[in-house]
Amino acid sequence: MGKRKMYLRMITASLLRRRSRMIIALLAIAIGATILSGLVTIYVDVPRQMGAQFRNYGANMIFTATDESVTEEEAKSAIAVIPDDELVGAAPYWYETVRVNDVPVMAAATDMEGANATSPFWDVSGEWPSSDGEIMIGENVANTYNLKVGDKMTATYASETDESGDASGDASGDAEVIMDNYLDFTVTGILDTGGTEEDYIYMSLNDMQTLTGKEISYDVCELSVSATSDELNRIKDAINEAVPSVTARLVKRVTQSETTVLSKLQALVLLVTIVVLALTMICVATTMTAVVAERRKEIGLRKALGASNRSIIAEFMGEGIILGAAGGLIGSIMGFAFAQAVSRSVFNASISLMPWLVPVTVIVSVFVTAAACMIPIRSATDVDPALVLKGE
Amino acid sequence: MFIRMIFKAFFRQKKKMLMIAFTIALGASLATAMLSVMLDVGDKINQELKAYGANITVTPKSSSVISDLYDVDGENVTGSYLAEDELGNIKTIFWAFNIVDYTPFVTVSAQMDNGSDINVTGVWFNHYMSLPTGEELYAGITSLRTWWEITDGEWIDESEAGEENCAMVGAQVAQEYGISAGDTIHVRGSASDVDLVVKGIFDDGGDEDDSVFVPLDTAQALADMDGKIDSIEVSALTTPDNELSQKAARDPSSLSVSQYETWYCTAYVSSICYQIEEVITDSVASAVRQVADSEGQILDKTQLLMILITILSMVGAALGIMNLVTASVMERTQELGLMKAIGAHTGAITGLVLTEILVTAVIGGMAGYFAGLGFAQIIGQTVFSSSIEIRPMVIPIVAVLVIAVTLAGCVPAMRMVRKLRPTEVLHGK
Repeated sequence: MGKRKMYLRMITASLLRRRSRMIIALLAIAIGATILSGLVTIYVDVPRQMGAQFRNYGANMIFTATDESVTEEEAKSAIAVIPDDELVGAAPYWYETVRVNDVPVMAAATDMEGANATSPFWDVSGEWPSSDGEIMIGENVANTYNLKVGDKMTATYASETDESGDASGDASGDAEVIMDNYLDFTVTGILDTGGTEEDYIYMSLNDMQTLTGKEISYDVCELSVSATSDELNRIKDAINEAVPSVTARLVKRVTQSETTVLSKLQALVLLVTIVVLALTMICVATTMTAVVAERRKEIGLRKALGASNRSIIAEFMGEGIILGAAGGLIGSIMGFAFAQAVSRSVFNASISLMPWLVPVTVIVSVFVTAAACMIPIRSATDVDPALVLKGE
Repeated sequence: MFIRMIFKAFFRQKKKMLMIAFTIALGASLATAMLSVMLDVGDKINQELKAYGANITVTPKSSSVISDLYDVDGENVTGSYLAEDELGNIKTIFWAFNIVDYTPFVTVSAQMDNGSDINVTGVWFNHYMSLPTGEELYAGITSLRTWWEITDGEWIDESEAGEENCAMVGAQVAQEYGISAGDTIHVRGSASDVDLVVKGIFDDGGDEDDSVFVPLDTAQALADMDGKIDSIEVSALTTPDNELSQKAARDPSSLSVSQYETWYCTAYVSSICYQIEEVITDSVASAVRQVADSEGQILDKTQLLMILITILSMVGAALGIMNLVTASVMERTQELGLMKAIGAHTGAITGLVLTEILVTAVIGGMAGYFAGLGFAQIIGQTVFSSSIEIRPMVIPIVAVLVIAVTLAGCVPAMRMVRKLRPTEVLHGK
């Protein structure tokens, strides 16, 4: 008992007596640990956060009806298959050809909030429609009809049009069509995408129902899911299995490219983490070596007084382990704070604490510190105490 | 005497000085590597994002207003086309260097042997061009459709003989007609007919699965449309949009002269579009928002992420160096106390220690700079399979960092030297 007490006293006394040096050593270890825990946290979290950024490219999965069109219930149950925290947005689309000033225009009815979430790249001047009777028109349509935000327009729907002109407006053979339904709209926004969407007009599902007098049914549903390509494939299969009346497909252009770019980004952060960590750990080791090397005389004196090599190593290691553990703990906290700051400023999202990282950081710190102390202690204990004391 | 003392110090404490130099070299190499990678990461990621395909489409002026509204069965009925012989001009604009790839499109409808209609799209696959500037390049759809999965066969290679009568068939079409690679299909256009050897089947996962892709000339011959093209897809390296570019995109004439210069000479997607419109007669170039906007966002985020990691590692390197310098000076209290005891001024001691450390720092820093360039290249080669550009601006940053940090590391030690009382030190307290 007495021996252990003495050991503890020696270590604490040594740490307290040589305060300034110990602070230097502790600081060095804490810096190393901060970089370790900070970078590892970022590395683990980057795919998730960056993945969310990649959702800017829009929908990465779509489902269409296996036969006719998708009913509301079918769409709902298909969307329900996707885990809530992975679903960024879902936008069902219902396309019909309507007429504006007797010219056929493709009208899409959708859930505006869903469309905004699945297609964040849509550049809308004005506002997204928020209630019935409001409409968003593509830029090309706006140019054709010379419409501006705030203008009124009327859309008519000919219920007797033949079904063959399904996707694009069929301008021929419309002379005897009876125009029985019409609805007035206020233009709230003009859409600029650089794609075919600019030729469409967008209204709410309710308006489309009123205009056409048909039940709500979807031609296609766009989904934006934040998941890796493997997970996406699993979700796709799950949807196809759960709701046989719809066929889910991945948008290859988006998923394939995302995998390519994201894996590069991840490799970049990984490599940077490794290089930074390796260099920092060597830095920590050299500082520790310098701090311990200073005490060659002390080691020599102890040896001269009859201390065994083992007891000297045990004492120094004890100090090293305490320093390493303390530095590791401080570093874990600072590293998390750093990762949190990065995540907030880059991705505007907070990062979740990874509890396993704390013991890992502490263990690595202790290990590096112990290894770094070992070199000078060995060289000091290996030589004759007389030589050490003489200063050679 | 001063020089001799310094020399002596180096030889006597070879090991210790070597360790300090080594640590400073590590810190400097870390800073160099991170700065080099950070400064280059924008370009590299931009290049990677080209996987998403074209970010600019060019269409004829009149068709861009009403194209899809009257567009029946994929055939251009508005009667306006772009001229094929102007395609080379795209590589002559101010930002020609930023144009990564482009390809013309011409879609004609044709009939299969059994009478069913089919869309035939003429494109460049890997078209060879030699420009008036003397530059030679290959452009085409091969690198603009990286997501195409070739399920059977291979890409068309335009440099091989007989490739003009080859076709790439979309998965949907292939499934419908039971076509596989190596088959020959006969298609009849409005002007002529042709036998096509199916070179490959592709899966696009989108609309293009319903088309057959053939070399441009072949499609033009089918509908007698020599020299005419429907649209051009351009993939360009761009700078993320800001307020100026958004203002310019709405109306370039609203800018002041200096704003216009800045805008025109920055690789914004809107200025590249504007320059393309200048060289292609009667064309409208518009940014594909899906690609252009997302690219900007991801670029910004990646750059910011790298900047913050760089700052962390530079702070880490700085504190590491500072720490070691402090520790190594403190270690020498006895020696410094002895100097004081025999009459040295604080200033003289400070000068001596600083010179020693600074010489070490410069040597270590230089070694570290070159090692850092090596690390940067390793990162560049492993991640992006291309080298990281060596930027001269990294040198002054690293130099200032190393010297400032080393000096800062000496400060606490110097304060200690000033307070040192020789008797106490020599006594061993």
